[in-house]
Amino acid sequence: MTSTLSIQGLRVAVGGREVLKGFDLTMSTGEVHALMGPNGSGKSTLAHALTGHPGYRVLEGSVTIDGRELLGLSATERARAGLFLALQQPLEVPGVRPLDMLVAAGADPATVGARVREEAERVGLRPELLERFVNVDLSGGERKRAEMVQLGVLRPRFCLLDEVDSGLDVDALSSVARRLSSAVGEWECGVLAITHFRRLLVELVPTTIHVVRDGRVVATGGPEIAERLEREGYDGFRAPRA
Amino acid sequence: MTTFADSAAAVLDAHPGGGRREAWRAFEEVGLPSASDEVWRYTPLGELGLERHAVATSPSPAAPSDAARRLAAGAGVVLTVVDGYLAPVGELPEGLSVSVDESGRSHTGQALVERYANDAFSLLNAALAPATTVVRVEPGAILAGPVVVLDLAGDGASFARLRVEVGRGAEAVVLEYLEGGRDGLVVPLSEYAVDADGSLTLVTYQRLDESAWQVARTTGFVERDGRLRQAVIGLGGHYDRSRNDAELRGPGAANELRTTYLGRGDQVHDFRTHQLHLAPRTNSRLLSKGAVAERSRSVYTGLIEIEKGATRTDARQTNHNLLLSPSAHADSVPNLDIRENDVLCAHASSVGPLDALQRWYLESRGVGRVDAQRLMIQGFFYEMLEALPDALAAPIEADVASAVGEVARAAQVGS
Repeated sequence: MTSTLSIQGLRVAVGGREVLKGFDLTMSTGEVHALMGPNGSGKSTLAHALTGHPGYRVLEGSVTIDGRELLGLSATERARAGLFLALQQPLEVPGVRPLDMLVAAGADPATVGARVREEAERVGLRPELLERFVNVDLSGGERKRAEMVQLGVLRPRFCLLDEVDSGLDVDALSSVARRLSSAVGEWECGVLAITHFRRLLVELVPTTIHVVRDGRVVATGGPEIAERLEREGYDGFRAPRA
Repeated sequence: MTTFADSAAAVLDAHPGGGRREAWRAFEEVGLPSASDEVWRYTPLGELGLERHAVATSPSPAAPSDAARRLAAGAGVVLTVVDGYLAPVGELPEGLSVSVDESGRSHTGQALVERYANDAFSLLNAALAPATTVVRVEPGAILAGPVVVLDLAGDGASFARLRVEVGRGAEAVVLEYLEGGRDGLVVPLSEYAVDADGSLTLVTYQRLDESAWQVARTTGFVERDGRLRQAVIGLGGHYDRSRNDAELRGPGAANELRTTYLGRGDQVHDFRTHQLHLAPRTNSRLLSKGAVAERSRSVYTGLIEIEKGATRTDARQTNHNLLLSPSAHADSVPNLDIRENDVLCAHASSVGPLDALQRWYLESRGVGRVDAQRLMIQGFFYEMLEALPDALAAPIEADVASAVGEVARAAQVGS
């Protein structure tokens, strides 16, 4: 069954400053969207606000999955409604083991061990690294692979990737991209990849590209958008007057 | 109703020897502490009501709980002590002996009244405990299974006294477990002596009734190249005070002390430590971790003292506290007293709530609030439980996990 994630008129403040100023985006499961924009345009804010990060204050707007409003829900309920965030810098949670976290998140305790090993193999992560505490003592690339293992076990409807390509070597990048591409095929995972590099998009081919400037989407389209970006840079996409 | 003073007088009349009268007189001179004494500043002494606690003149009819039986299941030898009275002992493995000492003397040879002069509660123990239970591991003996001492307290004033002696080159694991003490006053006094090259792994596990007052004191004496690893876990008690000292007396002696406490309701956990380095190349590692929820509070006060001549000593103390509600409170007071230059010495302490971003990370994976808190609190205690001896770890971990589950439900953290 196809689900639709709809973000409308979203305004979000961080530390008292408004960063998202009326953000609109709609996508469905089984689609890959890329969200591109310069530093400070509000891309990461979107990912954090959607998943209920405590530092982000929603001022106005609506975020729904199949019409169900998410913004009043806790971070847990949003995750259970189908949102998964892969972070730019996955947080360390000392003392907590990945298996315990996954079981508490709803994974089947009887099969989670085997599922984790399977998923680790698919992204080229040594399974013993997942016996360490969540993201502790892992390199940048290992952490992002570890989050793909979480994704594979939890099978969310939508995955938000927050600049997952920054600081990632080419091999790690392509295993992450390959895992996501197959997630789209396996359970019609919808992928929203936030990036300001084109590198990720070579491996993870988007159906739709959105350009964001100053807290709003200023252009939406197909691969031609990426080409135009290549030629003109972000300056070619003017932010509308508020 | 029998008062404390009347019942104490009856005990002294029935058992006048072993320095009891001297200890009682010393107690009367010293008197109970008051809140104006710095080391008793955080103690709700007004709630103690010493007079309402009658001293047990014979063991109360206490039977070990299921929790005690689970611990005993992992034991090589189980000793049951009720209100300080040692129950008949079964067959013992070679190299282990258990006896009762009524001499009123410390391991050091001093009379208890001298050794514990000015410490009101230890003096009460010296006056009123029926005897010292002595667990002795012969030189060179290596015990296969842990010795579990079940210290059961009735609902009056209960005084147990234990001395563990580990001979030269011997190795043993001992668990001292305390339960009972409903509305009671529980005052255990323990000494642990590790002779040269000996090794003692000790767990002091306090699960008294949540109405009990405990004032406990333990002292380790470690000789040349001996090793005392001690874990103290405080879950029970209304007021739980535990003073854990170690004297590192011979070169190369080592002490590792881990204290763990979890406060709920109106509990107070009050931990005092004193690592006394008397000889060169001695080593102490102290890690104290506690969590306080609801209206509970904790106190950690630790002193590392390094004597002149204790060169190349290496001493560390660390205390971390989790605050799980706005009404909970933790005090952390590490102290150093160093009279030798050629040493390494460090201390660290922290008091704070669970990390809100770590919790969000777990929640953003779909973990519920209470489960996220439970996993994080359990993670905070992970290194404490990891160090427990294998044969005893499972039931203690299960107890701590269930206490953590309750605390996680009650916790109110940040945002």
